Amino acid sequence: MTETWALATLWLGLALAATLLSIWFRIATALSEIVVGTVAQLIIGALMGGAILGTDQSWIKFLSGTGAIVLTFLAGAELDPVVFKMKWKEASVVGLASFAIPFLGCAAVAYWLLHWNGQASWLAGIAMSTTSVAVVYAVMLELGLNKTSYGKTLLAACFVTDMGTVVALGLIFSPFTYKTLVFVFVLVALGFVLPWLTPRFFKRYGGRPSELEAKYLLLSLFGMGALALWAGSEAVLPAYLIGMVLAGTVGKDHALVRRLRTLTFGLLTPFYFIRAGSLVSVPALLATPLVFVAFLVSKVFFKFVAVLPVTQFFNRRNGAEAKEAKTESFYTTLLMSTGLTFGSIASLFGLTHGIIDTAQYSYLVAAVIASAVVPTMIANAFYLPRHLLQEKKTSTE
Amino acid sequence: MFSKIMVAYDTSEQAERAFDAGVDLAQKYSAELIVLSVISPPEPPGMVETEAILENGQMFFEAHYAKLREKVASSGVKPRFEVRVGHPAEQIIHLANQEDASVIVMGHRGKNIIQRWLLGSISKRVLSYAHCSVLIVR
Repeated sequence: MTETWALATLWLGLALAATLLSIWFRIATALSEIVVGTVAQLIIGALMGGAILGTDQSWIKFLSGTGAIVLTFLAGAELDPVVFKMKWKEASVVGLASFAIPFLGCAAVAYWLLHWNGQASWLAGIAMSTTSVAVVYAVMLELGLNKTSYGKTLLAACFVTDMGTVVALGLIFSPFTYKTLVFVFVLVALGFVLPWLTPRFFKRYGGRPSELEAKYLLLSLFGMGALALWAGSEAVLPAYLIGMVLAGTVGKDHALVRRLRTLTFGLLTPFYFIRAGSLVSVPALLATPLVFVAFLVSKVFFKFVAVLPVTQFFNRRNGAEAKEAKTESFYTTLLMSTGLTFGSIASLFGLTHGIIDTAQYSYLVAAVIASAVVPTMIANAFYLPRHLLQEKKTSTE
Repeated sequence: MFSKIMVAYDTSEQAERAFDAGVDLAQKYSAELIVLSVISPPEPPGMVETEAILENGQMFFEAHYAKLREKVASSGVKPRFEVRVGHPAEQIIHLANQEDASVIVMGHRGKNIIQRWLLGSISKRVLSYAHCSVLIVR
Protein backbone atom coordinates (compact mmCIF):
# COMPACT_ATOMS: atom_id res chain seq x y z
CA MET A 1 0.00 0.00 0.00
CA THR A 2 2.97 2.34 0.56
CA GLU A 3 3.36 2.81 -3.18
CA THR A 4 -0.35 3.57 -3.59
CA TRP A 5 -0.37 6.20 -0.85
CA ALA A 6 2.81 7.76 -2.21
CA LEU A 7 1.27 7.94 -5.68
CA ALA A 8 -1.96 9.37 -4.28
CA THR A 9 0.12 12.01 -2.47
CA LEU A 10 1.84 12.94 -5.72
CA TRP A 11 -1.48 13.26 -7.60
CA LEU A 12 -3.16 15.27 -4.86
CA GLY A 13 -0.08 17.48 -4.70
CA LEU A 14 -0.42 18.15 -8.43
CA ALA A 15 -4.15 18.77 -7.96
CA LEU A 16 -3.43 21.28 -5.21
CA ALA A 17 -0.83 23.05 -7.36
CA ALA A 18 -3.32 23.18 -10.26
CA THR A 19 -6.01 24.64 -8.00
CA LEU A 20 -3.65 27.33 -6.70
CA LEU A 21 -2.71 28.23 -10.28
CA SER A 22 -6.38 28.42 -11.23
CA ILE A 23 -7.02 30.79 -8.30
CA TRP A 24 -4.00 33.00 -9.02
CA PHE A 25 -4.55 33.20 -12.77
CA ARG A 26 -8.34 33.08 -12.71
CA ILE A 27 -8.52 30.15 -15.10
CA ALA A 28 -10.81 27.13 -15.06
CA THR A 29 -9.58 24.38 -12.76
CA ALA A 30 -10.11 21.82 -15.54
CA LEU A 31 -7.75 23.77 -17.78
CA SER A 32 -5.06 24.21 -15.12
CA GLU A 33 -5.28 20.51 -14.23
CA ILE A 34 -4.81 19.49 -17.88
CA VAL A 35 -1.81 21.82 -18.17
CA VAL A 36 -0.31 20.67 -14.86
CA GLY A 37 -0.77 17.05 -15.97
CA THR A 38 1.03 17.75 -19.26
CA VAL A 39 3.90 19.65 -17.60
CA ALA A 40 4.24 17.09 -14.78
CA GLN A 41 4.49 14.23 -17.25
CA LEU A 42 7.04 16.18 -19.27
CA ILE A 43 9.25 17.06 -16.28
CA ILE A 44 8.79 13.96 -14.13
CA GLY A 45 8.94 11.78 -17.23
CA ALA A 46 12.25 13.36 -18.27
CA LEU A 47 13.76 13.13 -14.78
CA MET A 48 12.44 9.83 -13.48
CA GLY A 49 10.78 8.01 -16.37
CA GLY A 50 7.32 8.12 -17.90
CA ALA A 51 5.78 5.48 -15.63
CA ILE A 52 6.27 7.36 -12.37
CA LEU A 53 2.84 9.04 -12.55
CA GLY A 54 1.20 5.63 -12.81
CA THR A 55 -1.52 6.76 -15.24
CA ASP A 56 -2.27 3.14 -16.11
CA GLN A 57 -2.82 1.97 -12.53
CA SER A 58 -6.32 0.57 -12.20
CA TRP A 59 -7.30 2.70 -9.20
CA ILE A 60 -6.25 5.89 -10.98
CA LYS A 61 -8.27 4.84 -14.01
CA PHE A 62 -11.25 4.15 -11.73
CA LEU A 63 -11.10 7.53 -9.99
CA SER A 64 -10.54 9.26 -13.33
CA GLY A 65 -13.48 7.44 -14.98
CA THR A 66 -15.74 8.17 -12.01
CA GLY A 67 -14.75 11.83 -12.26
CA ALA A 68 -15.87 11.96 -15.90
CA ILE A 69 -19.14 10.17 -15.08
CA VAL A 70 -20.13 12.33 -12.10
CA LEU A 71 -19.04 15.55 -13.82
CA THR A 72 -21.11 14.65 -16.88
CA PHE A 73 -24.07 13.80 -14.66
CA LEU A 74 -23.82 17.18 -12.90
CA ALA A 75 -23.55 18.93 -16.27
CA GLY A 76 -26.73 17.24 -17.45
CA ALA A 77 -28.47 18.16 -14.19
CA GLU A 78 -27.85 21.86 -14.91
CA LEU A 79 -30.46 21.76 -17.67
CA ASP A 80 -33.47 23.97 -16.96
CA PRO A 81 -36.41 21.68 -17.90
CA VAL A 82 -38.95 24.53 -17.87
CA VAL A 83 -36.95 26.57 -20.37
CA PHE A 84 -36.22 23.48 -22.43
CA LYS A 85 -39.91 22.63 -22.70
CA MET A 86 -40.66 26.21 -23.71
CA LYS A 87 -37.92 26.50 -26.35
CA TRP A 88 -37.39 22.92 -27.46
CA LYS A 89 -38.21 23.47 -31.14
CA GLU A 90 -35.68 26.25 -31.80
CA ALA A 91 -33.20 24.69 -29.36
CA SER A 92 -33.39 21.30 -31.09
CA VAL A 93 -32.89 22.76 -34.58
CA VAL A 94 -29.95 24.97 -33.53
CA GLY A 95 -28.47 22.33 -31.22
CA LEU A 96 -28.68 19.46 -33.72
CA ALA A 97 -27.30 21.57 -36.56
CA SER A 98 -24.51 22.71 -34.25
CA PHE A 99 -23.63 19.08 -33.56
CA ALA A 100 -24.18 17.30 -36.88
CA ILE A 101 -22.42 19.55 -39.40
CA PRO A 102 -19.18 20.13 -37.41
CA PHE A 103 -19.18 16.42 -36.59
CA LEU A 104 -19.38 15.41 -40.25
CA GLY A 105 -17.20 18.29 -41.46
CA CYS A 106 -14.34 17.76 -38.99
CA ALA A 107 -14.50 14.00 -39.57
CA ALA A 108 -14.15 14.71 -43.30
CA VAL A 109 -11.17 17.02 -42.69
CA ALA A 110 -9.49 14.33 -40.54
CA TYR A 111 -10.16 11.63 -43.13
CA TRP A 112 -9.43 13.37 -46.44
CA LEU A 113 -7.11 16.22 -45.47
CA LEU A 114 -5.12 14.66 -42.60
CA HIS A 115 -5.46 11.05 -43.84
CA TRP A 116 -6.57 9.64 -40.49
CA ASN A 117 -8.28 6.26 -40.61
CA GLY A 118 -12.09 6.00 -40.52
CA GLN A 119 -12.54 5.35 -36.79
CA ALA A 120 -10.05 8.07 -35.79
CA SER A 121 -11.80 10.52 -38.13
CA TRP A 122 -15.22 9.85 -36.57
CA LEU A 123 -13.69 10.34 -33.14
CA ALA A 124 -12.16 13.66 -34.24
CA GLY A 125 -15.57 14.71 -35.56
CA ILE A 126 -17.17 13.96 -32.19
CA ALA A 127 -14.47 15.77 -30.19
CA MET A 128 -14.83 18.84 -32.42
CA SER A 129 -18.64 18.88 -32.43
CA THR A 130 -18.99 19.91 -28.78
CA THR A 131 -20.23 23.20 -27.40
CA SER A 132 -19.26 24.39 -23.93
CA VAL A 133 -22.48 25.10 -22.06
CA ALA A 134 -20.40 26.76 -19.33
CA VAL A 135 -18.75 29.24 -21.71
CA VAL A 136 -22.10 30.19 -23.24
CA TYR A 137 -23.75 30.36 -19.81
CA ALA A 138 -21.03 32.62 -18.35
CA VAL A 139 -21.17 35.01 -21.29
CA MET A 140 -24.98 35.09 -21.15
CA LEU A 141 -24.83 35.94 -17.43
CA GLU A 142 -22.18 38.58 -17.99
CA LEU A 143 -24.32 40.33 -20.56
CA GLY A 144 -27.58 39.72 -18.74
CA LEU A 145 -28.81 37.73 -21.74
CA ASN A 146 -29.66 34.65 -19.66
CA LYS A 147 -33.08 36.15 -18.92
CA THR A 148 -33.91 36.90 -22.55
CA SER A 149 -35.65 34.44 -24.81
CA TYR A 150 -32.57 34.53 -27.05
CA GLY A 151 -30.27 33.50 -24.21
CA LYS A 152 -32.60 30.77 -22.99
CA THR A 153 -32.90 29.25 -26.47
CA LEU A 154 -29.15 29.32 -26.91
CA LEU A 155 -28.49 27.61 -23.58
CA ALA A 156 -31.08 24.93 -24.29
CA ALA A 157 -29.49 24.40 -27.73
CA CYS A 158 -26.09 23.80 -26.09
CA PHE A 159 -27.58 20.89 -24.14
CA VAL A 160 -28.94 19.41 -27.38
CA THR A 161 -25.49 19.72 -29.03
CA ASP A 162 -23.77 18.02 -26.09
CA MET A 163 -26.45 15.34 -26.10
CA GLY A 164 -25.62 14.71 -29.77
CA THR A 165 -21.95 14.41 -28.79
CA VAL A 166 -22.48 11.90 -25.97
CA VAL A 167 -24.98 9.87 -28.01
CA ALA A 168 -22.51 9.71 -30.91
CA LEU A 169 -19.67 8.77 -28.55
CA GLY A 170 -21.84 6.14 -26.91
CA LEU A 171 -23.18 4.51 -30.05
CA ILE A 172 -20.83 5.01 -33.04
CA PHE A 173 -18.01 2.87 -31.70
CA SER A 174 -20.22 0.18 -30.21
CA PRO A 175 -21.04 -2.90 -32.25
CA PHE A 176 -24.80 -2.97 -32.84
CA THR A 177 -25.95 -6.21 -31.21
CA TYR A 178 -28.76 -7.36 -28.92
CA LYS A 179 -26.67 -5.84 -26.08
CA THR A 180 -27.13 -2.39 -27.62
CA LEU A 181 -30.90 -2.94 -27.68
CA VAL A 182 -30.90 -4.04 -24.03
CA PHE A 183 -28.83 -0.99 -23.06
CA VAL A 184 -31.06 1.45 -24.97
CA PHE A 185 -34.22 -0.19 -23.59
CA VAL A 186 -32.99 0.02 -19.96
CA LEU A 187 -31.84 3.61 -20.51
CA VAL A 188 -35.23 4.67 -21.91
CA ALA A 189 -37.05 2.84 -19.10
CA LEU A 190 -34.88 4.60 -16.51
CA GLY A 191 -35.70 7.88 -18.24
CA PHE A 192 -39.30 7.34 -17.14
CA VAL A 193 -38.71 5.61 -13.81
CA LEU A 194 -36.00 7.81 -12.27
CA PRO A 195 -37.85 11.18 -12.41
CA TRP A 196 -40.82 9.48 -10.71
CA LEU A 197 -38.95 7.35 -8.19
CA THR A 198 -36.08 9.64 -7.15
CA PRO A 199 -38.00 12.51 -5.47
CA ARG A 200 -40.25 10.02 -3.63
CA PHE A 201 -37.32 7.91 -2.48
CA PHE A 202 -35.35 10.97 -1.32
CA LYS A 203 -38.39 12.38 0.48
CA ARG A 204 -38.93 9.11 2.34
CA TYR A 205 -35.31 8.26 3.26
CA GLY A 206 -33.15 11.27 2.36
CA GLY A 207 -31.73 14.17 4.37
CA ARG A 208 -29.69 11.97 6.74
CA PRO A 209 -25.96 12.03 7.52
CA SER A 210 -25.58 8.62 5.85
CA GLU A 211 -25.73 10.39 2.44
CA LEU A 212 -28.29 8.03 0.97
CA GLU A 213 -28.82 10.37 -1.98
CA ALA A 214 -25.19 10.18 -3.10
CA LYS A 215 -25.19 6.38 -2.83
CA TYR A 216 -28.44 6.12 -4.79
CA LEU A 217 -27.13 8.35 -7.58
CA LEU A 218 -23.75 6.61 -7.75
CA LEU A 219 -25.56 3.27 -7.87
CA SER A 220 -27.58 4.45 -10.88
CA LEU A 221 -24.50 5.93 -12.60
CA PHE A 222 -22.22 2.95 -11.98
CA GLY A 223 -24.96 0.47 -12.89
CA MET A 224 -25.74 2.19 -16.15
CA GLY A 225 -22.04 2.75 -16.79
CA ALA A 226 -21.41 -0.97 -16.43
CA LEU A 227 -24.34 -1.76 -18.74
CA ALA A 228 -23.06 0.79 -21.28
CA LEU A 229 -19.59 -0.80 -21.30
CA TRP A 230 -21.11 -4.30 -21.52
CA ALA A 231 -22.94 -3.12 -24.62
CA GLY A 232 -19.70 -1.68 -26.01
CA SER A 233 -20.85 1.89 -25.39
CA GLU A 234 -19.45 4.66 -23.13
CA ALA A 235 -20.39 5.38 -19.50
CA VAL A 236 -20.74 9.15 -19.93
CA LEU A 237 -23.74 8.64 -22.26
CA PRO A 238 -26.11 7.33 -19.56
CA ALA A 239 -24.55 9.75 -17.01
CA TYR A 240 -25.47 12.80 -19.10
CA LEU A 241 -28.95 11.53 -19.91
CA ILE A 242 -29.64 10.56 -16.26
CA GLY A 243 -28.47 14.07 -15.28
CA MET A 244 -30.88 15.62 -17.77
CA VAL A 245 -33.90 13.59 -16.66
CA LEU A 246 -33.13 14.36 -13.00
CA ALA A 247 -32.48 18.06 -13.65
CA GLY A 248 -35.93 18.98 -12.36
CA THR A 249 -35.45 17.08 -9.09
CA VAL A 250 -31.80 16.47 -8.13
CA GLY A 251 -30.68 19.55 -10.10
CA LYS A 252 -32.91 21.73 -7.94
CA ASP A 253 -31.62 20.30 -4.65
CA HIS A 254 -28.76 22.75 -4.17
CA ALA A 255 -27.48 21.18 -0.97
CA LEU A 256 -27.18 17.76 -2.63
CA VAL A 257 -25.56 19.21 -5.75
CA ARG A 258 -23.04 21.05 -3.54
CA ARG A 259 -22.13 17.82 -1.74
CA LEU A 260 -21.68 16.03 -5.05
CA ARG A 261 -19.50 18.87 -6.30
CA THR A 262 -17.29 18.53 -3.21
CA LEU A 263 -16.76 14.87 -4.01
CA THR A 264 -16.25 15.60 -7.70
CA PHE A 265 -13.86 18.58 -7.53
CA GLY A 266 -12.15 17.51 -4.31
CA LEU A 267 -11.20 14.00 -5.37
CA LEU A 268 -12.47 12.77 -8.72
CA THR A 269 -11.99 15.31 -11.51
CA PRO A 270 -8.37 16.15 -10.60
CA PHE A 271 -7.54 12.53 -11.43
CA TYR A 272 -9.49 12.80 -14.67
CA PHE A 273 -8.04 16.08 -15.97
CA ILE A 274 -4.46 15.54 -14.73
CA ARG A 275 -4.52 12.12 -16.38
CA ALA A 276 -5.96 13.65 -19.57
CA GLY A 277 -3.15 16.23 -19.55
CA SER A 278 -0.41 13.73 -18.75
CA LEU A 279 -1.28 11.74 -21.87
CA VAL A 280 -0.65 14.74 -24.15
CA SER A 281 2.59 14.50 -26.08
CA VAL A 282 4.16 17.96 -26.28
CA PRO A 283 6.88 16.85 -28.76
CA ALA A 284 4.19 15.52 -31.14
CA LEU A 285 2.24 18.75 -30.82
CA LEU A 286 5.30 20.89 -31.50
CA ALA A 287 6.37 18.72 -34.42
CA THR A 288 3.23 19.45 -36.47
CA PRO A 289 1.25 22.26 -34.83
CA LEU A 290 -0.68 22.91 -38.05
CA VAL A 291 -2.77 19.81 -37.42
CA PHE A 292 -4.29 21.28 -34.28
CA VAL A 293 -4.77 24.64 -36.04
CA ALA A 294 -6.56 22.79 -38.87
CA PHE A 295 -8.97 21.25 -36.36
CA LEU A 296 -9.61 24.56 -34.62
CA VAL A 297 -10.30 26.38 -37.89
CA SER A 298 -12.47 23.50 -39.18
CA LYS A 299 -14.51 23.45 -36.01
CA VAL A 300 -15.27 27.18 -36.16
CA PHE A 301 -15.88 27.03 -39.92
CA PHE A 302 -18.35 24.14 -39.73
CA LYS A 303 -20.10 25.67 -36.73
CA PHE A 304 -20.63 28.73 -38.96
CA VAL A 305 -21.96 26.57 -41.79
CA ALA A 306 -24.34 24.85 -39.36
CA VAL A 307 -25.51 27.49 -36.96
CA LEU A 308 -25.37 30.77 -38.89
CA PRO A 309 -28.21 30.09 -41.41
CA VAL A 310 -30.44 28.61 -38.70
CA THR A 311 -29.96 31.50 -36.26
CA GLN A 312 -30.40 34.04 -39.06
CA PHE A 313 -33.65 32.34 -40.01
CA PHE A 314 -34.99 32.44 -36.44
CA ASN A 315 -33.80 35.98 -35.84
CA ARG A 316 -35.41 37.27 -39.04
CA ARG A 317 -38.60 35.36 -38.28
CA ASN A 318 -38.70 36.98 -34.83
CA GLY A 319 -38.68 40.38 -36.54
CA ALA A 320 -35.07 41.47 -35.96
CA GLU A 321 -33.60 44.10 -38.30
CA ALA A 322 -31.24 42.72 -40.95
CA LYS A 323 -28.13 44.23 -39.36
CA GLU A 324 -29.11 43.16 -35.87
CA ALA A 325 -30.00 39.67 -37.08
CA LYS A 326 -26.56 39.36 -38.68
CA THR A 327 -24.67 40.50 -35.54
CA GLU A 328 -26.76 38.31 -33.31
CA SER A 329 -26.26 35.29 -35.56
CA PHE A 330 -22.48 35.77 -35.73
CA TYR A 331 -22.35 36.09 -31.97
CA THR A 332 -24.45 32.97 -31.42
CA THR A 333 -22.35 30.98 -33.85
CA LEU A 334 -19.04 31.95 -32.26
CA LEU A 335 -20.31 31.07 -28.80
CA MET A 336 -21.53 27.71 -30.07
CA SER A 337 -17.98 27.07 -31.38
CA THR A 338 -16.57 26.83 -27.86
CA GLY A 339 -15.86 23.53 -26.13
CA LEU A 340 -13.75 22.06 -23.36
CA THR A 341 -14.89 19.20 -21.16
CA PHE A 342 -16.84 16.99 -23.57
CA GLY A 343 -14.14 17.49 -26.20
CA SER A 344 -11.49 16.22 -23.78
CA ILE A 345 -13.75 13.34 -22.67
CA ALA A 346 -14.24 12.27 -26.31
CA SER A 347 -10.48 12.54 -27.00
CA LEU A 348 -9.53 10.49 -23.92
CA PHE A 349 -12.16 7.90 -24.86
CA GLY A 350 -10.49 7.60 -28.26
CA LEU A 351 -7.01 7.21 -26.79
CA THR A 352 -7.94 4.68 -24.11
CA HIS A 353 -9.94 2.58 -26.59
CA GLY A 354 -7.11 2.55 -29.13
CA ILE A 355 -9.10 4.54 -31.70
CA ILE A 356 -6.47 7.30 -31.89
CA ASP A 357 -2.77 7.37 -31.01
CA THR A 358 -0.97 9.71 -28.61
CA ALA A 359 -0.09 12.26 -31.30
CA GLN A 360 -3.69 12.40 -32.61
CA TYR A 361 -4.92 12.71 -29.02
CA SER A 362 -2.54 15.62 -28.42
CA TYR A 363 -3.78 17.52 -31.50
CA LEU A 364 -7.40 17.03 -30.48
CA VAL A 365 -6.88 18.14 -26.85
CA ALA A 366 -4.93 21.22 -27.99
CA ALA A 367 -7.70 22.12 -30.45
CA VAL A 368 -10.36 21.56 -27.76
CA ILE A 369 -8.57 23.89 -25.31
CA ALA A 370 -8.08 26.55 -27.98
CA SER A 371 -11.75 26.27 -28.98
CA ALA A 372 -12.74 27.18 -25.41
CA VAL A 373 -10.85 30.46 -25.55
CA VAL A 374 -10.47 31.83 -29.09
CA PRO A 375 -14.11 31.98 -30.34
CA THR A 376 -15.33 33.67 -27.13
CA MET A 377 -12.64 36.34 -27.42
CA ILE A 378 -13.57 37.05 -31.06
CA ALA A 379 -17.30 37.04 -30.25
CA ASN A 380 -16.99 39.56 -27.43
CA ALA A 381 -14.58 41.77 -29.33
CA PHE A 382 -16.47 42.09 -32.60
CA TYR A 383 -19.96 40.64 -32.56
CA LEU A 384 -21.59 41.53 -29.26
CA PRO A 385 -25.33 41.96 -29.97
CA ARG A 386 -25.69 45.11 -27.90
CA HIS A 387 -29.34 45.70 -28.77
CA LEU A 388 -30.17 42.53 -26.79
CA LEU A 389 -28.83 44.17 -23.64
CA GLN A 390 -31.77 46.51 -23.84
CA GLU A 391 -34.21 43.63 -24.12
CA LYS A 392 -33.59 42.44 -20.58
CA LYS A 393 -34.88 45.71 -19.18
CA THR A 394 -38.25 45.17 -20.77
CA SER A 395 -38.47 41.44 -21.33
CA THR A 396 -37.71 38.87 -18.67
CA GLU A 397 -39.82 36.27 -20.39
CA MET B 1 -25.96 66.97 -5.78
CA PHE B 2 -25.96 63.18 -5.48
CA SER B 3 -29.29 61.42 -5.75
CA LYS B 4 -28.04 57.89 -6.41
CA ILE B 5 -24.78 56.56 -4.98
CA MET B 6 -23.24 53.33 -6.13
CA VAL B 7 -20.58 51.57 -4.04
CA ALA B 8 -18.36 48.92 -5.62
CA TYR B 9 -17.83 46.33 -2.91
CA ASP B 10 -15.48 43.32 -3.00
CA THR B 11 -15.26 42.79 0.82
CA SER B 12 -11.65 44.10 0.96
CA GLU B 13 -10.57 46.63 3.59
CA GLN B 14 -10.64 49.39 0.97
CA ALA B 15 -14.14 48.37 -0.08
CA GLU B 16 -15.28 48.60 3.55
CA ARG B 17 -13.97 52.16 3.65
CA ALA B 18 -15.71 52.91 0.34
CA PHE B 19 -18.94 51.55 1.78
CA ASP B 20 -18.62 53.80 4.84
CA ALA B 21 -18.02 56.79 2.57
CA GLY B 22 -21.03 55.80 0.47
CA VAL B 23 -23.26 55.60 3.56
CA ASP B 24 -21.97 58.98 4.71
CA LEU B 25 -22.77 60.56 1.34
CA ALA B 26 -26.18 58.89 1.21
CA GLN B 27 -27.02 60.32 4.64
CA LYS B 28 -25.85 63.82 3.71
CA TYR B 29 -27.70 63.96 0.41
CA SER B 30 -30.65 61.73 1.36
CA ALA B 31 -29.62 59.66 -1.62
CA GLU B 32 -30.37 56.12 -2.70
CA LEU B 33 -27.49 53.70 -2.03
CA ILE B 34 -26.67 50.75 -4.30
CA VAL B 35 -23.94 48.29 -3.37
CA LEU B 36 -22.54 46.26 -6.25
CA SER B 37 -20.38 43.15 -6.00
CA VAL B 38 -19.06 41.29 -9.02
CA ILE B 39 -18.33 37.59 -9.39
CA SER B 40 -15.79 36.83 -12.10
CA PRO B 41 -16.05 33.36 -13.68
CA PRO B 42 -12.77 31.63 -14.53
CA GLU B 43 -11.43 31.66 -18.10
CA PRO B 44 -12.61 29.63 -19.90
CA PRO B 45 -15.61 28.87 -17.71
CA GLY B 46 -15.55 25.18 -16.87
CA MET B 47 -18.50 22.81 -16.88
CA VAL B 48 -20.23 22.62 -13.46
CA GLU B 49 -17.42 24.68 -11.87
CA THR B 50 -18.90 27.95 -13.17
CA GLU B 51 -22.28 27.26 -11.59
CA ALA B 52 -20.50 26.35 -8.32
CA ILE B 53 -18.45 29.58 -8.36
CA LEU B 54 -21.56 31.67 -8.97
CA GLU B 55 -23.46 29.97 -6.16
CA ASN B 56 -20.55 30.26 -3.73
CA GLY B 57 -20.00 33.89 -4.71
CA GLN B 58 -23.66 34.71 -4.12
CA MET B 59 -23.54 33.08 -0.65
CA PHE B 60 -20.22 34.76 0.18
CA PHE B 61 -21.53 38.23 -0.63
CA GLU B 62 -24.91 37.60 1.05
CA ALA B 63 -23.05 36.83 4.29
CA HIS B 64 -21.13 40.12 4.02
CA TYR B 65 -24.28 42.04 3.08
CA ALA B 66 -25.92 40.86 6.32
CA LYS B 67 -23.07 42.49 8.27
CA LEU B 68 -23.35 45.69 6.22
CA ARG B 69 -27.10 45.83 6.85
CA GLU B 70 -26.46 45.57 10.60
CA LYS B 71 -23.79 48.25 10.38
CA VAL B 72 -26.11 50.81 8.77
CA ALA B 73 -29.29 49.81 10.60
CA SER B 74 -29.25 52.92 12.80
CA SER B 75 -28.17 55.35 10.05
CA GLY B 76 -31.51 55.44 8.27
CA VAL B 77 -29.87 54.44 4.97
CA LYS B 78 -31.32 51.37 3.30
CA PRO B 79 -28.81 50.05 0.79
CA ARG B 80 -29.85 47.94 -2.17
CA PHE B 81 -27.46 45.08 -2.90
CA GLU B 82 -26.69 43.74 -6.37
CA VAL B 83 -24.45 40.84 -7.42
CA ARG B 84 -23.40 40.72 -11.08
CA VAL B 85 -21.22 38.40 -13.11
CA GLY B 86 -18.30 39.41 -15.35
CA HIS B 87 -15.30 41.71 -15.41
CA PRO B 88 -15.55 44.02 -12.36
CA ALA B 89 -14.82 47.32 -14.18
CA GLU B 90 -17.27 46.52 -17.00
CA GLN B 91 -20.03 45.55 -14.62
CA ILE B 92 -19.50 48.62 -12.40
CA ILE B 93 -19.74 50.93 -15.41
CA HIS B 94 -22.67 48.99 -16.86
CA LEU B 95 -24.76 49.13 -13.67
CA ALA B 96 -23.90 52.80 -13.10
CA ASN B 97 -25.24 53.51 -16.61
CA GLN B 98 -28.32 51.38 -16.13
CA GLU B 99 -29.16 52.97 -12.78
CA ASP B 100 -28.08 56.44 -13.89
CA ALA B 101 -25.95 56.72 -10.74
CA SER B 102 -24.71 60.18 -9.73
CA VAL B 103 -21.46 58.92 -8.24
CA ILE B 104 -19.49 55.67 -8.03
CA VAL B 105 -17.61 55.13 -4.77
CA MET B 106 -14.88 52.54 -4.73
CA GLY B 107 -11.67 51.51 -2.97
CA HIS B 108 -8.27 52.19 -4.45
CA ARG B 109 -7.01 48.64 -4.35
CA GLY B 110 -8.91 45.44 -3.97
CA LYS B 111 -7.55 42.06 -4.96
CA ASN B 112 -4.02 40.67 -4.89
CA ILE B 113 -1.12 41.58 -7.18
CA ILE B 114 -1.62 38.77 -9.73
CA GLN B 115 -5.33 39.50 -10.09
CA ARG B 116 -4.59 43.22 -10.48
CA TRP B 117 -2.01 42.40 -13.13
CA LEU B 118 -4.47 40.18 -15.01
CA LEU B 119 -7.58 42.35 -14.66
CA GLY B 120 -5.79 45.69 -14.81
CA SER B 121 -6.53 48.41 -12.32
CA ILE B 122 -10.29 48.36 -11.90
CA SER B 123 -10.42 51.85 -10.42
CA LYS B 124 -8.40 53.27 -13.37
CA ARG B 125 -10.78 51.70 -15.87
CA VAL B 126 -13.84 52.94 -14.04
CA LEU B 127 -12.33 56.43 -13.86
CA SER B 128 -11.71 56.38 -17.60
CA TYR B 129 -15.08 55.12 -18.77
CA ALA B 130 -17.73 56.03 -16.17
CA HIS B 131 -20.40 58.52 -17.23
CA CYS B 132 -20.62 60.01 -13.72
CA SER B 133 -18.34 61.23 -10.94
CA VAL B 134 -16.07 58.64 -9.35
CA LEU B 135 -14.85 58.83 -5.76
CA ILE B 136 -11.79 56.70 -5.04
CA VAL B 137 -11.43 56.09 -1.31
CA ARG B 138 -7.91 55.51 0.02
